[in-house]
Amino acid sequence: MTRELIKNGFFYTSILVSQLLIFNHFNLFETITPSVYLIIFILYKTSYNKTTLIFLGFITGLIIDLSMQTYGCHTFATITICFLREKIEKNSFGVNANLPSAMIKGTQIINRLTFFMLIILIHSSIYYSLVFFNIEVLGKIFYYTLINSIVTFIIIWVLSKLISNK
Amino acid sequence: MQSIINSILKNRNLIIYIILSLITFNSLYTNSSVHYSGIEKTATYLSGKSSIFSSYIYSYFNLRNKNQILIEENLQLKKIEYKNNYSSQNLENNSLESKPLNTANIILNSINKSKNIIVIDKGILGGINEEMGVITSLGVVGIIKSVTDNYASIISLLNTDLKVNAILKNSSTIGSITWDGLNSKYLKLNDIPLSSSLKIGDTIVTGGMSFYFPKGLPIGSISNYDNSSLEGYYDIDVEVFNDFSSLSTVYILERTDNKEIKTLLND
Repeated sequence: MTRELIKNGFFYTSILVSQLLIFNHFNLFETITPSVYLIIFILYKTSYNKTTLIFLGFITGLIIDLSMQTYGCHTFATITICFLREKIEKNSFGVNANLPSAMIKGTQIINRLTFFMLIILIHSSIYYSLVFFNIEVLGKIFYYTLINSIVTFIIIWVLSKLISNK
Repeated sequence: MQSIINSILKNRNLIIYIILSLITFNSLYTNSSVHYSGIEKTATYLSGKSSIFSSYIYSYFNLRNKNQILIEENLQLKKIEYKNNYSSQNLENNSLESKPLNTANIILNSINKSKNIIVIDKGILGGINEEMGVITSLGVVGIIKSVTDNYASIISLLNTDLKVNAILKNSSTIGSITWDGLNSKYLKLNDIPLSSSLKIGDTIVTGGMSFYFPKGLPIGSISNYDNSSLEGYYDIDVEVFNDFSSLSTVYILERTDNKEIKTLLND
């Protein structure tokens, strides 16, 4: 248990630090800033407490907001996906949703793809809606959401493969 | 109590999510000028819309009070109108002086009998006395017949016993208004000689030669007349201005010199 806690703590810290030091400054074509920290909430084991997940989302979002001066956009998007995660899981995995580690092992690739994509898309759409906060730039919001979701998805997918292989 | 606690525990994730969302939005609102102005705009829009909606509801439920205020305001205006118009007219014509004293609501009304009576919700305690004239903004209604402490009955114009002094507004030919008991929309104007000129649409007003009404209060307009009578008088139908079937509020006229004249007549 303690070992697992240390392992998870190390994973959480390393993802958060890499987000703060690397991905936040990515800014590719002045458009792409991947939210790689979402992997924490994607790989969060369903057997753990869901309330803890929401608080974890809040703290993570807050730290990223403070570093990026986004005043709460990341926090709201993150707590929303943490709150909705249970429903997204059920939609993506069906009956296998409550199995521990079902997100990575022993599931159909299409289910995993749906789950990853839904989490990332919901997060990005909420985040960019809040960042622009103007209905007149709806096209721009869609564009940023789509581009960032794709890049974030690719990075998170590769990372999750690396982790599962380990 | 236990069920409330259970319900809170069951929905704790939703409650925590809402609280954390509120904290986040508060942070956005206080720290970011873009979000501040956006939220302000939305809040203004929503509060504006909700205010309109609530004001619609409030105004609907407040109609009775508004109506009462309007009636009072109308009474004050009528007093000013009487002061400016009728007083000077009465002085010129040496007629009797009267002014609107009070308003009252009709609680009982009939139009389908030959002797129709109206009952109002004010009596002696409300300053109403017998033989006061009763009008609306459209014209004459009737005369107070009897009063109790809180109620008064009115002999309506739609009463075959009532005869009101009236004149043709254009020619000042004197006649009298009565009701034949047939149609509640039409009265009869009697005693107008065939030598008088009149036409359909001429206005009939009170003549001023009575204890009850000053000169010039509207009654109705000529809708039809017959000049073939052998008695030398027109048979005139007058379409009454007031709709007696939908009366709700009336004004009571006070004759300031009634007692003096009655004393004189008695002597």
